[in-house]
Amino acid sequence: MRDEDILTGRVLEGRCLTLEELCAVCAFEPDWLVGRIEEGLFPAPEGPRAEWRFSALSLSRARRMHALERDFEAVPELAALVADMLEEMDDLHARLRRAGLE
Amino acid sequence: MEYRDYYKTLGVSREATIDEIKKAYRRLARKYHPDVSKEPDAEARMREVNEAYAVLSDAEKRAAYDQLGRGHRPGEAFRPPPGWDAGFEFAGPGFSGAEAADFSDFFAELFGRMGGARGGGFRMRGEDHHAKILLDVEDAYAGAVRQIALRVPKIDSQGRVALETRTLNVKVPKGIHAGQIIRLAGQGAPGTGQAKAGDLLLEVQFRSHARYRVDGRDLHAALPVAPWEAALGGVVPVDVPDGRLQVRIPAGAQSGRVLRVRGRGIPGEPPGDLLLEIRVVLPEATTPQAKALYETMARELAFDPRRTS
Repeated sequence: MRDEDILTGRVLEGRCLTLEELCAVCAFEPDWLVGRIEEGLFPAPEGPRAEWRFSALSLSRARRMHALERDFEAVPELAALVADMLEEMDDLHARLRRAGLE
Repeated sequence: MEYRDYYKTLGVSREATIDEIKKAYRRLARKYHPDVSKEPDAEARMREVNEAYAVLSDAEKRAAYDQLGRGHRPGEAFRPPPGWDAGFEFAGPGFSGAEAADFSDFFAELFGRMGGARGGGFRMRGEDHHAKILLDVEDAYAGAVRQIALRVPKIDSQGRVALETRTLNVKVPKGIHAGQIIRLAGQGAPGTGQAKAGDLLLEVQFRSHARYRVDGRDLHAALPVAPWEAALGGVVPVDVPDGRLQVRIPAGAQSGRVLRVRGRGIPGEPPGDLLLEIRVVLPEATTPQAKALYETMARELAFDPRRTS
């Protein structure tokens, strides 16, 4: 493999995505997410909208909520509740793995 | 290209009403939901179900698909007749372009025509794309070059979309850990006109490993020790992804106790820690000598593991 065939990217850490970037990656309109943030269904980032930054974790929550609303025509509150429970489940699975039980 | 029977995928008849289609879709979406499904091929089945639903839930697409005619068998080689879609205008995605990129060639051939807003003086930066990159623990210690394959839609001169596999070699820097994103500038969707291409964002995830578990920058592993090492303390060798360490076991260590070796987790600024969970492993009493040693301990030591004090 030649060196020029290898792509080097920039590593982004923590809260690194803007609202537009997160929505572009998830392929939905920013208004959808802004609505969920305003209704308190999605953790509100700090500061004014132009300064909002999201983490990789927010990416998976946004995708889950969006898919639940679309696939099951779930009301946003229900999609948020299911996303909360799935996050809780992720956390418990991680604890089981750390304890060597999974 | 293989013919796909979308009605069969959703398990509904060709006469099914939109409500019946929705119901069948939701039932399958629950069955194959990636977060809860125990089915081994859940992800692939969910893609098929999404694809079938994207067509059958949309009146225009469904009518066009029905017009292709009956009598095709799933998996049979298939080519749509020329002009089969005349008079149909497909719009209103429901599934995004990025999601539809996961759909089959059959779908892309039938419904992949893009809107007409391309060319001319129109300029728009390409979309950012997203994918996951699966790494091994060792990659975080040493860095690596990993190959990823992406299915991307390509638009031909007629505005039709075909799916193409693109292979990228990506440099994974030493110290990478879960929760990070690698941004590859210009590797997303191409821009329109003279505009720049979008970026590709790779979400970092680790494959499960027989010995190690990664938690952020920390590395967890079990440390099996002999009863005398646990009771008397001592220095034992421990293999880690970047070599071998000598770790001191404190005297009186019990199973379940976790030793933290600072700075020997995933490298970085600051580096993570290595967390070793002690597991006392008993030698089997299969030889007369081993039996005698256990009997001596039973006799000489006033030890009751069930005593609560």
